[in-house]
Amino acid sequence: MSSPGLPVVGRLDAGLPTRVSVHKSGGRDQWSAPLAEEPERPVEAVWAALDEVLDPEIPISLPELGLIYGVDFEEGAVVVRLTFTATACPCMEFINEDVRDRLESEPWIESVEIEEVWDPPWSSERITDRGRKKLRELGVGV
Amino acid sequence: MADQLDLEALDTADKAALERLIIALADTKRLLGIRYSDWLIGAPSIETGIAASSMCQDEWGHARLLYAMLKQLDKDPGPFERERPASEYASTTALDEEAPDWAAVVALMVLVDGAATAVLTSFAEGSFDQANSRVPKMLAEEEFHTSLGAAWYRRLADADGEARTLLTDATSRILPSLLTWVGTDDEANGRLVALGVIEDAEARLDRFRDGIRDLTALVGIDVDAVEPAGEWDSTRGRTSGHPAEEAVERARGDRNRALFVE
Repeated sequence: MSSPGLPVVGRLDAGLPTRVSVHKSGGRDQWSAPLAEEPERPVEAVWAALDEVLDPEIPISLPELGLIYGVDFEEGAVVVRLTFTATACPCMEFINEDVRDRLESEPWIESVEIEEVWDPPWSSERITDRGRKKLRELGVGV
Repeated sequence: MADQLDLEALDTADKAALERLIIALADTKRLLGIRYSDWLIGAPSIETGIAASSMCQDEWGHARLLYAMLKQLDKDPGPFERERPASEYASTTALDEEAPDWAAVVALMVLVDGAATAVLTSFAEGSFDQANSRVPKMLAEEEFHTSLGAAWYRRLADADGEARTLLTDATSRILPSLLTWVGTDDEANGRLVALGVIEDAEARLDRFRDGIRDLTALVGIDVDAVEPAGEWDSTRGRTSGHPAEEAVERARGDRNRALFVE
């Protein structure tokens, strides 16, 4: 679980950590500065932004964990289709807030809608290879 | 998978039947979570208590998703979750009172979770798209409950003396009303079967019995020979009676009303 206020002791995107990092909620202490204007490929930019949002309990991103099922972008409106690892995931509100905060920090994104989906059901098989590599480095078997 | 249900084409009685099914399943999940939570402290081992905690969490997650299906019927789930009196709860009868001992909790794991899984599996394969998309995740989580329940059931059934007796008594006590619950064949159920929302009673009972037959045989109970029992309440879709008021106060979250955020 993240602990707001504690110092950052490592960066995942600067190579794999040698010890578990402590991040602010969703990894927001490492989020990139927003783009000044709408990029040429906005859907890719949304995915890149989501890839900076870390799961609240383990420091890999939501796409790496396989929680993002789709992204739509139309005239500044973003729809994120998102699932959770469990039907009673205690971090649902944290994750939704982190996603919303990261995307709404971009001036070219006017609205963010999060659509909760359960089909197909999430399982650990949805974790990406990159996510698996990071988890193994953290001592988590997947 | 059945053809998709056209909600716009349903008449009032069809919608009421679907609503009754959703609430019966959701209430059962919520009360089952409470019955597991009763044993977070007091289970035979710390590990088992943690497992009970995880199962409680899952059941409440399932209940949340099930209540949310009511939105498809233009119903606000909030009042169903937080405002109904115990007398309106449709959870299955086996959950009305706290499990008196750990053997009874094990029986709930195998029998009540087994019954709910049988009905939910049928629901997932039917014509209601919300069940098609949401229930498979619930069933995936239920696989762990099934494994734990079966392991404990075998362990207690193999034990000598009181443990086995308590498990046998709990199974005998719980099973008849569950057979009635799973196998209801009333008018509302007939509507749902005709709409392809759910399988017919015999198919659901077959699923249920197939899932528990080998286990109950360990305590000398032939599930195929047990007669359904209980007075059917067609309004709620359960047998008569209702859960204890104290449990429903917890289900509604009466002590936390000031903290509701939705």
